[in-house]
Amino acid sequence: MTLEEALHNNRYKIVDKWVAYTLATYEASQFFTREKDSFANPVGGTIRDSLKKIFSLLTQNVEVASFKEPLSRLMHLRSVQEFSPSQAVAPLNAVKHITRDVLAADKETKPLVSELYDFEFSVDLAVLAAFDLYVECREKIYKIRVDEIRSGKQILTDGACPSRALKNIADTKRQK
Amino acid sequence: MAVAKLEQLSQSVVQDPSMATGAVPAMDWMDIPVTFKPGNYAYPAKKDKVEYLDSQKGLHFPNAREWSPEDDDWKLPENWKEIIIDGLGERLEKFRSLKIFMDCCVRCGACADKCHFYLGTGDPKNMPVLRAELLRSVYRNDFTLAGKILGKMAGGREMTVGVLKEWFMYSYQCTECRRCSVFCPYGIDTAEVTMMLRELLHLVGIGINWILEPVSNSNRTGNHMGLQPHTFKDNVDFLAEDVENLTGIKIEPTFNRKGAEILFITPSADVFAEPGLYTAMGYLILFEHIGIDYTWSTYASEGGNFGLFTNNEAMKKLNAKMYAEAERLGVKFIIGGECGHMWRVLHQYMDTMNGPADFLELPRSPLTGTIFENAASTKMVHISEFTADLIKHGKLNLDKSRNSHVKATYHDSCNPARAMGLMDEPRYILDHVVDWVEMPENTIREQTFCCGSGTGLNTDEIMELRMRSGLPRANAVKYVEDKHGVNMLSCVCAIDRATLTSLMDYWNPNVGVCGITELVGNAIVLEGETRGELDEGLRTMVF
Repeated sequence: MTLEEALHNNRYKIVDKWVAYTLATYEASQFFTREKDSFANPVGGTIRDSLKKIFSLLTQNVEVASFKEPLSRLMHLRSVQEFSPSQAVAPLNAVKHITRDVLAADKETKPLVSELYDFEFSVDLAVLAAFDLYVECREKIYKIRVDEIRSGKQILTDGACPSRALKNIADTKRQK
Repeated sequence: MAVAKLEQLSQSVVQDPSMATGAVPAMDWMDIPVTFKPGNYAYPAKKDKVEYLDSQKGLHFPNAREWSPEDDDWKLPENWKEIIIDGLGERLEKFRSLKIFMDCCVRCGACADKCHFYLGTGDPKNMPVLRAELLRSVYRNDFTLAGKILGKMAGGREMTVGVLKEWFMYSYQCTECRRCSVFCPYGIDTAEVTMMLRELLHLVGIGINWILEPVSNSNRTGNHMGLQPHTFKDNVDFLAEDVENLTGIKIEPTFNRKGAEILFITPSADVFAEPGLYTAMGYLILFEHIGIDYTWSTYASEGGNFGLFTNNEAMKKLNAKMYAEAERLGVKFIIGGECGHMWRVLHQYMDTMNGPADFLELPRSPLTGTIFENAASTKMVHISEFTADLIKHGKLNLDKSRNSHVKATYHDSCNPARAMGLMDEPRYILDHVVDWVEMPENTIREQTFCCGSGTGLNTDEIMELRMRSGLPRANAVKYVEDKHGVNMLSCVCAIDRATLTSLMDYWNPNVGVCGITELVGNAIVLEGETRGELDEGLRTMVF
């Protein structure tokens, strides 16, 4: 059996463990794990769906850019929840350990553990990309805050209100 | 070895205490303290706003001061505990519903996983049952025999500063959307429990600025932003000018006109902030098209009622101004614009506070003759009911192709959907003006998910909280965006129009937000118009 085959054959087991590990970072992990309807349980659904896609990409030795869509969904979620930056990204690393563990547990796949270097390197790249996305999401939040402050209220302060305009003129005169 | 490393990974990262991360060791919920830090609480009300409100007739907002939730000392009055317990006692006497809600919950858990705050945070105290338990535990301790004797064993607990802080944290992580109450077999309205928590907190001077400033502005000038009559009029006139630039039709809205048949009241956000502006242009076009005899008011210039988010006295006072103005102007009835909580106040509280509005007439559409029996007591008709009736009777000249740039979906705004049952009229309108699709069944109609920022939580300092509590809604929008190419989220609420815009910017940046009447206004073919090709409908920039 090749490593590729082993990863393919064990994909459900690995992803399940990975999802369980990630959902265990929430206080409500039981509900997030149990409820399968992704509209009733968007956190569980988003994590399951994106980790499934990420794992499939990790085993295909593809460019890191391909990870962007599922990674971005995951990071959009974790960057607005009450995690520190390291906590937000940490579950991605877990797949390295889970994969080793799963392969090592089976006599047939145990020898393949020594061949995991490329797979683990892909995980490292995904983690780095996740940091970028985490910061991107945070910056997006700040931008949305600024946009919200700007929309509407400036009408009241930037001249449409005559009494405000009169006050501005009076202030300018006083300064002179 | 690998497993040991995995355990280490869980621990090797920063572990600040946080409910969401599970970094706090599991213990009884009563024993987990709340931690306030920037981003997880809304700013407290400014001293001068509280002082002003407290000085107003019929209102009680004591203990104005500078304070911060992050400080240990919240500068509470010396007898704060007595005030809270007495306040609770008074409300248990006054509101029979509260007494029932306190007693009848069997903790079945049906509501637990229905709250968008819980679904987005995973914090158990955001389960509606547990949020209510924050108050119920104090009720049991001080107002039930079992609690008085058995204390904690009977689920009771003493009122402490820690409990008070917990009340503040979680009553402002509830948007009173009432999705949980749909699933409660006893019909417990958890929103009313949140309302009581907030009322009690106000008795000792705990409130947030994003709510109290609009309440104070509404009390003073009639609207949230504190727009004075001339500014309000100017803004509506600007919008009428925009309509003229787009369509060639000059509209001259009237203000405070005595003897008009209909008074039109909408959230002030519609006349000063995008994207509500386009909805307001839609109102102007619609009323011009059908030629009704209506007037705007610069005094009742706000449909929203942030009083609902403070206490029943403030809610009553702000609601009363609409009717005082209707009476002063001598109109026959009121048409209300696309607002959320205005309709909850109207349908569920207005009658016992200020109603019935006997000095007005039973609303009857001047064009179709339809009598709106459902508004027999409040005399106020929803713009969507009014519009759907016009369409049904063929009174509107609509060109659906004018919205061909839009693929819409419809967000049932919580209060119109759950508090007044307005679900089919907006859909009927959409069928006639735009190509649209529904979101998944368990996220619409009475099961609709809140925008995550209602009840005065639409302030920017808690943006992360708003984004995670809005996730269930955004997640359903993403589904229809991916599957059907939806690019517009329509709704009938001004808070939605503002907050869903931010929510979409974060989660689904290719989806815009609009009011139903914007789509109606864009589809209407006005008589004598000289409208060119408008690629983006009423949003098209013309020079």
